[in-house]
Amino acid sequence: MKTGFRVFLAVILTLGLSWLTFVVAPAVQLGRAKLEPVLNSSDTWPIQPSGDAALGLQVYRANGCAACHTTQVRQEGVACEVVLTDAGNNPAAVSNLLSTLKLSGLTKEQADAVAARIAAAGGKTETHIVPTGADIARGWGVRGSVAADYLYDAPVPLGNLRAGPDLANVGLREPDLNWQLLHLYAPQAVVSNSAMPPFRYLFRVQKINGTTSPDALRLPKNFAPPAGYEVVPTPAARELAAYLLSLKADAPLYEAPFTPAIAKP
Amino acid sequence: MNRTEHFPADGRGTAAAPAPAPAEISPSEMEASCRMPLLALFGGAALALVAGLALAVTASLTFHAPQLFADHPWLTYGRAQAAANDLLLYGFCIPAGLGVMLWIFVRLSGAELYLWLAAFIGANLWHLGVLVGTLAVLIGDSTGFAWLEFPRGGSVLLWAAFWLIAVSAAATFGARQNRELYPSHWFLLAALFWFPWIDATANLFLITPHPVRGVAQAVIDWWFANNLVFVWLALVGLGAAFYFLPKLSGRPLHSHFLALFACWTLMLFGAGCGIPQGAPVPAWMPAASALAAVLLMVPLAAVAVITWKTVRGSTAICKGGPLSYIKLGTALFLLSGLMLVAEACPQISRVVEFTWFGPAQTQLQILGFFVIVMCGAIYELLPRVTGVEWPFPKFIRLQYWLFLCGVALTVLLLAAGGVEQGWKLRNAATPFADSVAAALPFLRAETVGLLLVLIGALLFAANIFAMTLRWKLALLKSALAAVKTPLQTAEVES
Amino acid sequence: MSEEMKPDLTHGEPAATRATTPMWLFVLLLALLFLGGVYFDHHSGWFSAKVYAPYTSAEEVEQYQPRSGAAAMRAHGKQVYEMVCGVCHGNDGLGKPGQAPPLAGSEWVNTKGDNRLIHIPLEGLSGPITVKGQEMSFPSPMAAMGAALSDADLAAVLSYIRSAWGNQAGAVTPEEVKAVRAAIGAHPQPLTAEQLQTMPE
Repeated sequence: MKTGFRVFLAVILTLGLSWLTFVVAPAVQLGRAKLEPVLNSSDTWPIQPSGDAALGLQVYRANGCAACHTTQVRQEGVACEVVLTDAGNNPAAVSNLLSTLKLSGLTKEQADAVAARIAAAGGKTETHIVPTGADIARGWGVRGSVAADYLYDAPVPLGNLRAGPDLANVGLREPDLNWQLLHLYAPQAVVSNSAMPPFRYLFRVQKINGTTSPDALRLPKNFAPPAGYEVVPTPAARELAAYLLSLKADAPLYEAPFTPAIAKP
Repeated sequence: MNRTEHFPADGRGTAAAPAPAPAEISPSEMEASCRMPLLALFGGAALALVAGLALAVTASLTFHAPQLFADHPWLTYGRAQAAANDLLLYGFCIPAGLGVMLWIFVRLSGAELYLWLAAFIGANLWHLGVLVGTLAVLIGDSTGFAWLEFPRGGSVLLWAAFWLIAVSAAATFGARQNRELYPSHWFLLAALFWFPWIDATANLFLITPHPVRGVAQAVIDWWFANNLVFVWLALVGLGAAFYFLPKLSGRPLHSHFLALFACWTLMLFGAGCGIPQGAPVPAWMPAASALAAVLLMVPLAAVAVITWKTVRGSTAICKGGPLSYIKLGTALFLLSGLMLVAEACPQISRVVEFTWFGPAQTQLQILGFFVIVMCGAIYELLPRVTGVEWPFPKFIRLQYWLFLCGVALTVLLLAAGGVEQGWKLRNAATPFADSVAAALPFLRAETVGLLLVLIGALLFAANIFAMTLRWKLALLKSALAAVKTPLQTAEVES
Repeated sequence: MSEEMKPDLTHGEPAATRATTPMWLFVLLLALLFLGGVYFDHHSGWFSAKVYAPYTSAEEVEQYQPRSGAAAMRAHGKQVYEMVCGVCHGNDGLGKPGQAPPLAGSEWVNTKGDNRLIHIPLEGLSGPITVKGQEMSFPSPMAAMGAALSDADLAAVLSYIRSAWGNQAGAVTPEEVKAVRAAIGAHPQPLTAEQLQTMPE
């Protein structure tokens, strides 16, 4: 590169290539995404958070929760499971056959072959798609996270360190608002060996005015305030807890297919 | 006619005699012209280094004593760690890098610093922007994007400041007499063009009232973070290293073409790393990043060859002086690059993603590579610029060992802790609390390591401020002396 | 010109040698490009927006889509129920007083066989009926709401009803619906509760 201008051209070429690949292409491919249809349903995904949950994302951002928590589940593989739905006319033969076959942890080709053998014996089967991976085995999600899960988030709170557990489905794991508030005020009260710092500044300790307020926290003895005082969540705490309750990523999508458990109404 | 008249005194042949060189300014005049901007840049940078490390130590205390900051919102880990990272990167790394860049351009151009007032104002504006941004993060106004936490007010100040410094650097570059570019020119000039592009992109796509939707935000943030923390710091750090290594070891740089190869491959492949392997984005993005990361081994190998062949056989004595700093920093750059490549391999990333391995790599890049190279460069250049010797020369060697031990403790043990944490996380039967507990002893080592680096930074700041004070006192003395000197009668009467 | 007579344009600044780049670096570059290219080909899904790890191609994603099964049918059934039946029986299955009886926990739904249940939407129901021990009567009878639905849709709706709101009865297949429809014939009259009870479950 003999002149400053040629250095400039080299930067345009190299950074430009990277800019096109990692800024423009994703902005076009993902930034204009629309709602995804949920598999086998008329619902769309994601569900737009409203009210306190929508404000809670900003409390999450302001306190840097993403510094210790991630909100993305990784999926490392997929397996098929063959489930018998109808034993047919010859249940004894079918059950004999079943005891000789491997029915879970199969690839699609293997699952189709097993289903064909059972069908030949007169039984009816159904193939379930089961995502696999360390995060899924740990109960942090039922499928890997995909772009559609973050459509309404600004900023997207992905996080890159797990000093605390993943939160992508915390709304399913701990669906109780009071548990979330208690955990924010005194994590060690609900998880005894928790390394999470308490977020006491999101709450107010106030004097009990006659009767205790309905949203005062019910704290165990060594975390409770002195007698005559109660702990009440501030609006920020309430919004953050509502946001955490809204964190669910359990809808089957085309790009993240799986067979859900029996649909709850 | 005397034959000697045809031959200029320095022995050049008439056949190839160049045009008479324009009046050259002396090196001391050259250096003196950059005094004000450089002192502004480095003084603020040293302060930011100390403050950033102090905040980092404070943030790391959260893991040893979670109850400490429960009632103090501005010291909660999420805010304190983000502020510490930004103080280190925007407060120290970029201003120090720009200052060293300005000085190298001055030396290589053989000219004084052009538009030094712009650079001076830019330096002060930059530090103001960093202050505004850091305070905003601590009170909860961060943007939520990693390495881009400063909200719009701070970003605008930084943007304006950068342009002011950049015009000064570009003008000085343009004034060079020797039109052939030295390898450092490519690296530093590329960095000058790199930063505005990535900063503008990140701010325009992410920190606006209508940012790009959904997870594309995360992709652009990752792209920006990689291009700033890895590529930009590499460009400036290597530009400085390729200037100081040959100069201080007394040997030529090996070689022009190898450095060109390293520059091109670093820019081409370095810019594509950054998308983590498990990301919730279409598979082509992490795959492209993995491809770029594997190819990054080529520029790393090239830089290793350049460094090795340049300093091998040198008889210069280091003894904890600036040459030691530059050599250590360059070696740690290679290690940081290798960690980045490792993180991008899917089999390894399955274990170390979301663990302390990632923060260890960025700490190695920032503290281990860039801060050390910049401190070495500043220790070398600032006495020439101010004309004053270092007030505490023993601190230089002491700081070298503090940095070496501190970075080793912090980075190596934190990386090991990350791997340990990752192994525990892979096994679903192991409770989550076990993975956190496994990392705790390594986090204690990190806190101790950061403390060592902080003490080293305090020594650095002490040196810079004492030198600035001495220079100002010397200025004051010469001004007073000029005041007291009786004027010539001719001047008084006219 | 000899080396000493060359003009010193660098003025004491560092200079770079002109040694060439070693060949092995280029070989390494090409080898890594090839290996990386192979990796990209296998793992990228070639820029498709629908291919996410661990899937490696659009065909693989298509292959692993869950095909119709009990879960799919129930999900579809919920959709149809809310359009057709939920208006009167309520989306929560609790019925509406003066309009329709509850389906949640109803013994008419939770039968062992599904023959009796299939008749109700295909023929309609009029007159009083006892559900969960409570005698209920309604001003207007239930029309044959299921007569216009296809076999698959009606089977889906009934399967959904039998598995929702705490009900735990088996699914209904389209073949069973088809058989009952054939047995009823055209223009059926609305049933009464007594008639229903004479039918096999």
